[in-house]
Amino acid sequence: MAREFQRGHKAKISDLTAGTDLYVGVQITGPGLTFDISCFGLDADERLSDDRYFVFFNQPKSPEESIQLLGAQSGDTESFRVTLDRIPAQIQKLSFTATIDGAGQMSQIAPGYLRVVAGGEEVARYAFSGAEFSTERAVMLGDFYLKDVWRFAAVGQGFDGGLDALLKNFGGEVAEEEPAAPQPGAAPSFAPPAQATPAPAFGAPSAPAPAPAQGFAPPPGATPPVHTPAPPVHAAPTIVGPLHTPPGGTVPPPGPAPYAQPPGPPGPPPGYGQQPGQTAHMPPGYGQQAPSAPPGYGQPPTAPPGYGQQPQYGQIPGQAPGQYPGQPGAPSPYGAPQSAPQGGAGVAAALSAFKETPTGQRWTPQNKKLIRVDLGIGGQPVLARQGSMVLYQGKVDFSYKGAGFAGRIVGNATGQEMQLMRCTGQGQVFFAENATQVHPIELQGDAICVSAENVLAFDESLQYEVRRIEGHGIPGGALFTMQFQGTGTIVVKTHGAPVVLPVTPTTFADCNAVVAWSAAAQVIVSSQVRMRRNAYAGDTGESVNLQFRAAPGNFVVVQPYEV
Amino acid sequence: MNQPLAGFAPAPVTARMENHGNHMLKVAMQTGNDLLARVGSMVAYEGFVQYEPNPPAVRQIARDWMTGEGAPLMKCSGDGLLYLADYGANVVVINLNGDAISVNATNLLAFDAHLTWGVERVKGLAKFAGQGLWNTKISGQGWVALTSRGKPIVVDCGGGEDETYVDPDALVAWSPNLKVKGKRSFKAQSLIGRGSGEAFQMAFSGQGIVVVQPSEDSTDRLRVRG
Repeated sequence: MAREFQRGHKAKISDLTAGTDLYVGVQITGPGLTFDISCFGLDADERLSDDRYFVFFNQPKSPEESIQLLGAQSGDTESFRVTLDRIPAQIQKLSFTATIDGAGQMSQIAPGYLRVVAGGEEVARYAFSGAEFSTERAVMLGDFYLKDVWRFAAVGQGFDGGLDALLKNFGGEVAEEEPAAPQPGAAPSFAPPAQATPAPAFGAPSAPAPAPAQGFAPPPGATPPVHTPAPPVHAAPTIVGPLHTPPGGTVPPPGPAPYAQPPGPPGPPPGYGQQPGQTAHMPPGYGQQAPSAPPGYGQPPTAPPGYGQQPQYGQIPGQAPGQYPGQPGAPSPYGAPQSAPQGGAGVAAALSAFKETPTGQRWTPQNKKLIRVDLGIGGQPVLARQGSMVLYQGKVDFSYKGAGFAGRIVGNATGQEMQLMRCTGQGQVFFAENATQVHPIELQGDAICVSAENVLAFDESLQYEVRRIEGHGIPGGALFTMQFQGTGTIVVKTHGAPVVLPVTPTTFADCNAVVAWSAAAQVIVSSQVRMRRNAYAGDTGESVNLQFRAAPGNFVVVQPYEV
Repeated sequence: MNQPLAGFAPAPVTARMENHGNHMLKVAMQTGNDLLARVGSMVAYEGFVQYEPNPPAVRQIARDWMTGEGAPLMKCSGDGLLYLADYGANVVVINLNGDAISVNATNLLAFDAHLTWGVERVKGLAKFAGQGLWNTKISGQGWVALTSRGKPIVVDCGGGEDETYVDPDALVAWSPNLKVKGKRSFKAQSLIGRGSGEAFQMAFSGQGIVVVQPSEDSTDRLRVRG
């Protein structure tokens, strides 16, 4: 899923890909022109303080090989390999530049691009053409720069003079400011812009690239992004601990079993009270480390038997091995915790896994089900579904959002009216609802339709209108959708991990399960009249599907839950 | 035969309380170290574990808890492995180690019986109708397990000037040293929170943490079942 960048766009690398071993390809061609494409490793003052980090045809790699020049391949005029985590600390910025060797000017170049490929998949693309330039003889195409984390910026800034002048610029003169981010007109980038985890949970098929087709060869292993890669939601293993099968399936040898209380463990295990000093807190009968073992559960002073060696429910030889998977090898019963977030004792340590993520962006997903908006960034109010605020900090005012909107949506499918509240002020507000997953969608001038029930919150800068899809058989008489347009973020909630389907001639969705679709798609209500409809238990024949018709590149989002 | 299920076998016991997955709690039970757990939360056990619903001591402490009907805690004792869950809610295990935490009654799953605990009405909140503004303050050396509908978030109140406001339905737990007060709707027209239309939040100030769940469903399912 390549994200299309326009001049001035910036993004965190971690939002684009989890990888740090990146391939940067530049395609720049022009009739009769030859180009020198180079990478400047700049310091915090944007100077080339160390010549060894000027990677070009005469110096194909930096000293520790974090930046390597790879040459022309896969349709790219020039390519680099950048290993971000090996770049030394003094290098704060990598600037990729192209200069014309010989005569010519940048307005003559054919459409080209700078792209970032990670793991065989293109994750970012900045397309440019000669129309953006005039008499420049060099252009700074894009930057990787370190601002807390590595980020990528599409620069596209022309520069008079050739490579020498560019060098001089980085060497001595004041580095020019990056152009401010212009209002983008990019294709819908459905990826959450501020996902804390690198994995987008909600990928959408990339929309048709606005750049003219150029017939370049895709990078090795890359496939046309027709379908989204499976969201890594499912990649997480459900179970915490791995399954330790006893070697050879033997009956566990004697050894301290998980339940045992060794009379004198060499290092007192943290936390759970076997320390002599803690026994004072224990009620009588518990944790007595007395030499005379109390009857009952194994605390003899010698070999520590435990759970598993006790005759009453021990490992009867016939019992299937592996049922207590960890027993054979577990040397210290209450020793190091496995993978549970119990790195230390105490409330703070136990809860450290659930800490708030740091601020910095307007919309920040805290986890899959909770999103935070920082009203101070961007300075515009947020409209949110009433009751979706779970927590806020700072001076935030909540006010009822006028009845004009609410009135229009009364009579929504479920009979509830959707009511919004306006959040204004300075501070952070956390939104969540019913443990549904939340997905921020950043609109950059394009439009999306969202089923009204699935709207959680959105920037007030977005224009929205309520639409009614009527159809015979839709519960409540009509399906209400909200069409959003403009520049801003809308947060959509789904029950469960949704599926993003490309619109094909035969794309249908249940009107209760559909969440959102690209606004260019046309919706047709198709009553399901089937010969075999009675074959489905409970199907009354009333079920209504929505059919979507659109040009390729549009998509439909469906949740695994029928409201 | 059961290859796909093999990955769900219990991991070796390493502590008194552990998560099995995100939604289940595994407790290593031992004689003399009893456990207090929500009635109805047991999903499985092995070994010899006995249950005493509503023991007299608990009834005494929790006499104010909700409106009669007996205390919703049971005392579990014995040796073995005990598995607890609450209708698929996320389980968070905390080793108190001398700290204290104040937990919303519906979000408390289990805790060591030897901990110091008490049921108290949240101060400053005079009229919270219905659920769970009886909270349980727990402190001492031992383990506590909380439930949360969805993965919770922990917010540091920071001790700054600004208070942290929480929807009471989404509140799970907080540090007892925080100052709590109720806050009514800000403006006549603001309607935040669900239900009666009465808008209130709880305001926390001071040094400490607040644990919030991403859901306003504070229904006590273990009680609803009866």
